[in-house]
Amino acid sequence: MHQVIATVRGTENYITTRRDELFQEQQQNIIEHTDWLFARLMTLQWLAGVIATFLLSPRSWSGTESTVHPHVWAALLLGSAITGGPVLLAVTQPGKILTRHAIAVGQMCMSALLIHLTGGRIETHFHIFGSLAILAFYRDWKVLISATGVVYLDHLLRGMFWPQSVYGVLTAPMWRSLEHGGWVVFEVAFLLISIRKSLSEMSNVAERQAKLEALNENIERAVAERTTELTRENTERRQAEARLQHSQAQLAQAQQIAHVGSWEWDIAADLVTWSDETARLYGQSAADVGSPMEKCFRRLHPDDVARSRSVMEQAMRELKPFECEHRVLLPDGTERILHGRGEIIADENGKPVRMIGTAQDITAARKTAEALRRSDEQLRQAQKMEAVGRLAGGVAHDFNNLLTVVTGYSEFLLLRLEEKSPLRREAEEIQRAAERAAALTRQLLAFSRKQVLQPRVLDLNEVVSGMEKMLVRLIGEDIELRSVFEGDLGQVRADHGQIEQVILNLVVNARDAMPRGGKLTIQTANVFLDQKTVFRNRGLEIGDYVMLAISDTGVGMTDEVKAHLFEPFFSTKGVGKGTGLGLATCYGIVCQSEGDIRVYSEPGSGTTFKIYLPRLMERTIETAAPKPSNEMPRGTESILMVEDDAAVRKLASAVLSRCGYRIHEAGNAVEALALIERHPPFDLVITDVVMPQMSGKELHTEIMKRMPTVQVLFISGYTDDALAHHGVLDEGLSFLEKPFSPARLAQKVRTVLDTRPAAPAL
Amino acid sequence: MPTWRARFFLFSLVWLLTIAGGLIGLARYEQDAGSIGKTPAQWPAPPGIALDPSRPTLLMFAHPKCPCTRASMEELNRLLARSLGMVTPHVVFFKPEKDVGDWAGGALWESAKAIPSVIVDTDTDGAKARLFGAETSGYVVVYDPHCKLLFHGGITAGRGHAGDNAGESAILSLLTTHDTTAVGESRVFGCALLNPHQPSPVQVTACTK
Repeated sequence: MHQVIATVRGTENYITTRRDELFQEQQQNIIEHTDWLFARLMTLQWLAGVIATFLLSPRSWSGTESTVHPHVWAALLLGSAITGGPVLLAVTQPGKILTRHAIAVGQMCMSALLIHLTGGRIETHFHIFGSLAILAFYRDWKVLISATGVVYLDHLLRGMFWPQSVYGVLTAPMWRSLEHGGWVVFEVAFLLISIRKSLSEMSNVAERQAKLEALNENIERAVAERTTELTRENTERRQAEARLQHSQAQLAQAQQIAHVGSWEWDIAADLVTWSDETARLYGQSAADVGSPMEKCFRRLHPDDVARSRSVMEQAMRELKPFECEHRVLLPDGTERILHGRGEIIADENGKPVRMIGTAQDITAARKTAEALRRSDEQLRQAQKMEAVGRLAGGVAHDFNNLLTVVTGYSEFLLLRLEEKSPLRREAEEIQRAAERAAALTRQLLAFSRKQVLQPRVLDLNEVVSGMEKMLVRLIGEDIELRSVFEGDLGQVRADHGQIEQVILNLVVNARDAMPRGGKLTIQTANVFLDQKTVFRNRGLEIGDYVMLAISDTGVGMTDEVKAHLFEPFFSTKGVGKGTGLGLATCYGIVCQSEGDIRVYSEPGSGTTFKIYLPRLMERTIETAAPKPSNEMPRGTESILMVEDDAAVRKLASAVLSRCGYRIHEAGNAVEALALIERHPPFDLVITDVVMPQMSGKELHTEIMKRMPTVQVLFISGYTDDALAHHGVLDEGLSFLEKPFSPARLAQKVRTVLDTRPAAPAL
Repeated sequence: MPTWRARFFLFSLVWLLTIAGGLIGLARYEQDAGSIGKTPAQWPAPPGIALDPSRPTLLMFAHPKCPCTRASMEELNRLLARSLGMVTPHVVFFKPEKDVGDWAGGALWESAKAIPSVIVDTDTDGAKARLFGAETSGYVVVYDPHCKLLFHGGITAGRGHAGDNAGESAILSLLTTHDTTAVGESRVFGCALLNPHQPSPVQVTACTK
């Protein structure tokens, strides 16, 4: 303790000074307290003296007469004089030196008075000794000296002047006063010893208190310093905790944003802990924290458990970091793909003790990659289709020109040959071959979506019904055809012939998928797609559709087959049994008609193709397309024939000249414009679409500037979007598809001319 | 304008002088002896009090209401205790002729009665006291069996002041030494036994022994 105190103050001076302060303070308190004690005591003893006097010596007598006894006046007056001064000082000047000396003198005088009042009884003398003992309360030897002096002086004077009052004799030597004073000194001596001892104890107590105070101050200062330190540490700790919480929140948020969770495996205890994001990724609950690793493996896809465990075990053996992709099956059935990374922490013996790692959700990335792959595939497919389309277009342009010539002249030839002519059969074969070639060309254009559609309002029930007989013949007797039509089926807008082509292709495929017979079902229905659906990266918007489903009970298809189903030149039928263009054609036609075709198939469970075409919400009635005939209507109008292919141009000119029209020919647009400038107005301009220098569409624009009222008929094997938008002919344009027959040309020309607005009357 | 210290000193001085004056006055009062009449050298043979023929006879005249006589009674008690039956004590209490009721039987009476061998007598209107020249309460006279006065005076050191005193010492001395050559005497302290200026109606009769 001393050492501690010494460290506080450094010197003993403080303790000494403080001891003296405390000692003086304590002494002063005692003195003041004793002052108050004597103030009360002296008042009480004065009152007691007065009362005693009134009881013992109330009156002084002379025979039967009496007066107030002088003791009564002495008790009242002299007693109050003796008591009043010290009591007044004790009240007004407590603690002062003169106060306690006055009290000492007064108290001794009060003893003398009481001795007087009690007739000098020896018992009353004990008041002196009692008073000295009480005066010793002051712990001030000087006070006792004052009191002793008063006592001795009283005895000395009495011995000198009234010796009998103190000694009982008439004369007494001076030394007898010393005898009486000696007894007082005897007591005072012990009191002084007591005072000295008491003061010493007080000093010791003060010193102990000073040391205690110093120690307390040391402790308080140490406590204050420690409190300040703790407060600072608490503040720093709270700030650190706040930063840590902020950091943890940021980490958790970063993990959530990045879909990367962290985990740790205490291998010895087999306890796995993880972050919130990890829990979310693995579908773990908070109660699962601290689970063994084996329980965590239960979240993995069953097919990935063995591989993942093997990777981790190998990493533990080799003490190397590892990576592992695995799937997770969430409680709601969702599958998630995670990329895990981990590192091993080993002890000094190389024994793995902990494993820490991360898990990153790569599901979206995988889906994106898959989508990108599909997009690339689609792009590749589109590029292939584009290449095929360009090829088909190029081929079709020239090929259709050739077929037009072949078809036209073969028809001319048939018209000239007799029914029994031996050459007629060969001519008909030429014509059929030309028609098949034309059909093949159309298919090329169809899947490459380069053909020109001429959509009409259709009722698919009617379309299917019209084909039923032909389809029954087509599928054979082993296959049962069932038609399930919705009664109030909506209308669609599509090219009638192309839709028939689609149905025909699908039915043929169904037939081929049922070599041993089965059931073929054609179903129509109104459907409403309440959410946007995507199939083969082709989406259908929310809305009403008319569905045409063609189902078979055939062999079905694998996913691999389904993945390449609509690709051109893809076929499972073997060489020579299919062109590979059927479903590609269907897909092209349906897509070109703003619809979609979807396939549902499993190996051994048959196949269903569903075609969705936008439903027309307002029912309309359109006149049916005129049936093809060999009739060649005539006319006398003036026609400008613009065609870069000379053979086609000559054939068309020949056909129309036979029908009575006046024909002017031009090999290109420049020539055509020159003829328009030189000749009177034409009634009709027939122009090829694809021409060098200037296309048919550009020529049309120039003609409209010069002859706004003239009719224009376009002829082409394909449009290349010059006249059509997504294959649909622009509004107000007339078009005749190559290859065409002479009759078809004559009929189309007549139709176009007949739709001219009436000429204004002159 | 005196300073506080000067005023304090002045106050202390006045206070000390007042106390000293008071105590001196009180001492003077205590030492203020009572008057003594003419005490006959021969036993005057008062009525009702017989002289003991075998040993000295002691008479103490006391005022029954005098507070100072309490000390004289104590000293008498002490004296008798020390004299061991060598004297026949009488305490003669003053009693006015017209007693209104509380003169006899007071505390001093009882004290006197309580002292062994003390004979308590009554002195109506102080007639007996006058015979012996006793004018102050506590006055003591001692006569030997031959009617000779041996001592007269008080047996206290002051008014109401008990304790050793010259009178008591003188009585003890003559009783123990039987030295009757000189008459002992001392001052007496106490209340006046008789009313002031009251004439003596009693005739003195001479001792016959």
